[in-house]
Amino acid sequence: MSSHESFDDLEAQLLDLGASLDVPAPPPADVAAAVRARLAAEPTPDTASEPASQTPPSETPPSETPPSETPPEAVPESAPEVVRKRRPARRARRRRWTVVVAVVLAVVAVTAATPQGRAAVTAILRYAGIELRLGGTPTPVITPTTLPGERDVEPGRLGSLVTFPVRTPAALGPPAAATVGDNGRVASMFWPGGIRLDQFDGTMEPFFFKRLGPPYPQDVPLGATTAWWIGGSHPLGYIEREDGTPVPLRQAAPTLIWQSGPVGYRLEGAGTKERAAEIAASLR
Amino acid sequence: MDDDEAIGRSLAGDLTAYEALVTRYSALAHRTAALLGAGDEAEDVVQEAFVKAFRHLSSFRRDAPFRPWLLRIVANETHNLNRSRGRRSELTARLGVTAEVAAPDDPAGTAVATDRRARLLEAVRRLPERERQVLVCRYFLQLSEAETAQVLDWPLGTVKSSTHRGLARLREGVGDELA
Repeated sequence: MSSHESFDDLEAQLLDLGASLDVPAPPPADVAAAVRARLAAEPTPDTASEPASQTPPSETPPSETPPSETPPEAVPESAPEVVRKRRPARRARRRRWTVVVAVVLAVVAVTAATPQGRAAVTAILRYAGIELRLGGTPTPVITPTTLPGERDVEPGRLGSLVTFPVRTPAALGPPAAATVGDNGRVASMFWPGGIRLDQFDGTMEPFFFKRLGPPYPQDVPLGATTAWWIGGSHPLGYIEREDGTPVPLRQAAPTLIWQSGPVGYRLEGAGTKERAAEIAASLR
Repeated sequence: MDDDEAIGRSLAGDLTAYEALVTRYSALAHRTAALLGAGDEAEDVVQEAFVKAFRHLSSFRRDAPFRPWLLRIVANETHNLNRSRGRRSELTARLGVTAEVAAPDDPAGTAVATDRRARLLEAVRRLPERERQVLVCRYFLQLSEAETAQVLDWPLGTVKSSTHRGLARLREGVGDELA
């Protein structure tokens, strides 16, 4: 044994080290508000539905034995839209795009023809990091919530805080404000009049979800690609990286969504489809 | 409003009461998630843990302390996150600024203390996962042995033996340097 110290010294040093560790955490009130917003968006815990067990909820020991397959609880949301495992696999965008177009047409046709289209989500489209859940009559989001970890940043620093290239629409000029959310996964710019441009890695599994009843998205030519115009106010949410838990964010204004290279975009609050397309085409 | 009252009201569907509970334990939950290896995803883990805790509140035994029950969910979420990422949990915490200002009138002494802390942190980082986790719970989170056993879901004896092995390994590894 090479040490000349007693365990007590080492334990004291560990305690001292622990006290000096810097662990960043958001303001507790923000965490509480975010948790509340999520809970308010789902059914209250039904004490009758679960037998009151005397054990803590998690069945998975943090180590030692092979963990059971499921986390303590899958998300018992009302619609079937959220029960899907998220995998980091990238997919061929071109192929997905083809599928999306086909599904859009099919969904529009089906829901136009059948009244039960109102009842539930009839299709999920995924494009440019956004999951569109079509069908039904979505419940509006009452309590607006910010993106996970969203914080104000200097607009000029935005590009250095995220891992993808950030662009600015020349038609709007420099943004009045900017934020970075979810550990640099989403960059947002704001202009007066409620215009908001979100930029995010569009090659990843979806970040945002939108629940849409009619009217359904319209395609908008945008250079060599196609954007989608969502013409009505609609619930916007965020999909958590870990297990796909949906976090309702707010009621979004009409929005244009598109993808350029690896980056997905959503432009909200531009007013008309034409104006939104004009702004989108001016990205530099 | 103490924990028990907040829990009682939360069970009755009072979200404001639960908000108070979240506010109270938010910092500790973040610390637990980060130090057990959630890295920069600690915020996601914590939010998820609080949501799940609320959903499972009816299974919480009211005469037991809330803190280790909650932290077990946080630890479990952290574990699930790392498993879903196919990665080993890592201790990513940094030495805080407090380390630098510990002795403002003694810069040399402060530098030595900071350096010693940094080397000890690195040694803890390199420990086998189980030993690292138990030392994180015992010394960085300052949990009791019983709480550690509950949070990690290990038998008490395993907590004791892993603590002992981890400390011994640290002594071997950095003993000379720390002396």
